[in-house]
Amino acid sequence: MHTDFKLIFRRVLLWVEAIVAGSTLQLTLGIYIMKALTFAWDYPPETTGGLGIACHGLVSELTAIDVEVIFVLPRRQKIQSSGARFIFADIIPPELETFALPGPYQHSSALLHFLNSDGTLAVYSRQLIEATHDFAAHATIIAKNEDFDIIHAHDWTSYLAGIAAKRVSGKPLVLHVHATGFDQAGGGTVDPSIYAIEQVAFKEADCIITVSELTKTTIVSKHGVDAQKVAVVHNGTEVGEPVRHVPTLQGWRKQGKKIILYHGRITIQKGVDYFVLAARKVIDHNPNVVFVISGKGDMEAQIMQQVGALGLSQHVLFAGALWYEDRDRMYQSVDLVVMPSVSEPFGLVPLEAMRHGTPALISKQSGVAEVTTHVLKVDFWDVDEMANKILATLRYPVLQQQLRTEGKLELLRHTWHVAALKVRAVYDRVLQLVQRLAS
Amino acid sequence: MLSVCPYFHVHQPYRVKSYRVFDIGNDTEYFNDTSDTDLNNRRIVEKVAEKSYRPMNALLEQLLHDHPEFRFSLSFSGTALDQFEAYAPDVLASFQRLVATGRVEILADTYHHSLAFFYSIPEFERQVAMHAARIYELFNYQPRVFRNTELSYRNDLAKWCEDHGYIGIMAEGWEPILGWRSPNYVYQPVGCGGIKVLLKNYKLSDDLAFRFGNKEWESWPLSTETYTDWINRHHSDGNTINLFMDYETFGEHQWADTGIFDFWQAFPKTFLRHSDNSFKTATETIESYPSVGEINVPSVLTWADTDRDLTAWTGNDIQKAAIEATYSMEKNVLATDDSILIENWRKLQTSDHFYYMCTKWSNDGDVHAYFSPYQSPYDAYIAFMNALSDLQLRVQSHLARAATTVSAPSVIRRVWQRIWLLVKTSLLVAKRWLQALRKKIVRP
Repeated sequence: MHTDFKLIFRRVLLWVEAIVAGSTLQLTLGIYIMKALTFAWDYPPETTGGLGIACHGLVSELTAIDVEVIFVLPRRQKIQSSGARFIFADIIPPELETFALPGPYQHSSALLHFLNSDGTLAVYSRQLIEATHDFAAHATIIAKNEDFDIIHAHDWTSYLAGIAAKRVSGKPLVLHVHATGFDQAGGGTVDPSIYAIEQVAFKEADCIITVSELTKTTIVSKHGVDAQKVAVVHNGTEVGEPVRHVPTLQGWRKQGKKIILYHGRITIQKGVDYFVLAARKVIDHNPNVVFVISGKGDMEAQIMQQVGALGLSQHVLFAGALWYEDRDRMYQSVDLVVMPSVSEPFGLVPLEAMRHGTPALISKQSGVAEVTTHVLKVDFWDVDEMANKILATLRYPVLQQQLRTEGKLELLRHTWHVAALKVRAVYDRVLQLVQRLAS
Repeated sequence: MLSVCPYFHVHQPYRVKSYRVFDIGNDTEYFNDTSDTDLNNRRIVEKVAEKSYRPMNALLEQLLHDHPEFRFSLSFSGTALDQFEAYAPDVLASFQRLVATGRVEILADTYHHSLAFFYSIPEFERQVAMHAARIYELFNYQPRVFRNTELSYRNDLAKWCEDHGYIGIMAEGWEPILGWRSPNYVYQPVGCGGIKVLLKNYKLSDDLAFRFGNKEWESWPLSTETYTDWINRHHSDGNTINLFMDYETFGEHQWADTGIFDFWQAFPKTFLRHSDNSFKTATETIESYPSVGEINVPSVLTWADTDRDLTAWTGNDIQKAAIEATYSMEKNVLATDDSILIENWRKLQTSDHFYYMCTKWSNDGDVHAYFSPYQSPYDAYIAFMNALSDLQLRVQSHLARAATTVSAPSVIRRVWQRIWLLVKTSLLVAKRWLQALRKKIVRP
């Protein structure tokens, strides 16, 4: 009896919180804890981009609000602790180590190479798209053995697994769109295999969650999805005061140089080339600036060439991919973080930068621009304006100061808790809908 | 006996174009945007002229013609008058016709719609004098009642106005100042002798200025009968209903399709049906009613936002930095004696620039966003500071040049300019003093 009351009390609290969070969706007063079977491609600490980080943030908060998460990953890996129970689909024989499991942001025909545990190359290589089909096959077995209420699949590499689980269990399917093939193509030709999977999955889904209005518009206009079926849940971010690290790049600092950071994958989608063009204009005006490019990606060679061709080798530093402490240290050591994305469904980088007390300049073509006020915004193609805003930030210290203090306050509105409440509301609505259709 | 004192404020700023860091030192034009955006001053003035000034002035002219009892007050910023002259001379002419009826009063103001009183009283005085000269030139009119930018008011401003011969000043009728008292009477500023203060009835004013076209409002659609009824309820507890609002309420903030023009078309007739009702200008209101008490406003009161203070202009760090940087240039800018540099500096003092940098995105945020031609407060700050930096550079190089070449003719010219300014100012003061004297003799 006592626990019943406690549960009901928690439900009421949740309901109130959901209203506070701006969610108009009503939560049901279910007595059981909801179980969600979740599929995703990677997870921290072994992650290749924002997807894993987003999954972790969301799952940690969902488990805190009475959602039991069964989290399925394609292969065995280390896991950052959260409230979820993890299942590894073992699409690769566990005795083989992956040399590199391509991230979800690669071409569907990207190759997977596998190593034996002694480090020798195993004769086992497959395309990414084949691996997603393998994932789906394993998902069928997992879905048969597990008990759950709803299926949640993150991004195209997991969509097929989500569909498979739905077909075998009859449970409703929620897709979570962190990026589409169109974002990945950055205005170029979309990968037809990815597009085909997205099309099938969007049709099959009971509800689709996108991380921004921008992405909602993409899937409504380019995939022909019914807008009624789409719910927007903006990503959250960690908001606690971060650990301060010993700053880096102090040599330049001592010379009085200002430091501008790009942090992200080096691909066409991210607009790094526009960042380099803006750097040239900044240097023409103020040579006392250094640009750091942190990240890896298929455009790396091209960007390096561009830097050389523009005569910027003295002013641009390639820092490689930085994660965790190294990344945080970098955030804390620079004057401004730039996210020049051509197409960015959400974009966690500016929020991370704000948390570390560094102002951000972001492209208007990003989902995060929809929910932030205390950042500088620019059209990714407007290189002059990008350079202008970089220079203005360096020129007017009070601008930096206000972006820093107001930005930290603004972050408090973008917690994963708020996002999780909205996702939970989507689950409830979908389940209600399915029940109504059944009866 | 109950009168209504309608007062409409006419203002257009010179918006700063998206002036980039690279332009500093290369481009001396800050206000000449020619794009299709709302930064294009000509485009805005032409648009608002079409939507608001032309139709409303035609209507007001008609009303003055049809109802001999109808009267109201206007205030103009000098920056608006300059832009009418340049971009819409017919609008200026129509305002002149209204004033020529003798039933339309013009209020005193700062030329550049600035907050100078709170940063530099000498600069404030220069702008008030410039404004008076311009009003005299265009309308052959000498204002007797003062209103300060954004209806900003403080005890010392009222004292200043009294000392400079004004008979009245306007302010917001805000409860924290009034306490239990009503804004519908004439009051006297604390520490002053003869000057009176007119307080805006913000409820009845905002019914027209903000709520009129809002379909969610319980009183929508508002009829002249209902509105007159609301006013008539004050017969027992007031002398004057002061309806103060932006002129651009008509047709611009409240579009024509809200029925705002039809409302004004019908309002005087409906209102005047009650035989004890009348319209009065600000001066008439002040002269008709005795003061019923003292008003004490030790810190700045304005008509903006729910705070009614200056935080919409100087609430955050970038606003403070920008406005302080502007006024800190005063000595140097004036030392150049260069009319173009000084005029550019004054155009940058217009309060709107600082308003666009406001980040109070709570209840009032959407109002700010609606009135800003910039996509973000930070864009506004960057454009403004870049332009100001260029001006600083020009002032510095001007002074450096002057320091190396102090020639005899330039000294003579400067001395002559000073004398001429002195003569002009004393003439103006003498004129006003004579006028006041004549009034006293006529009505002892």
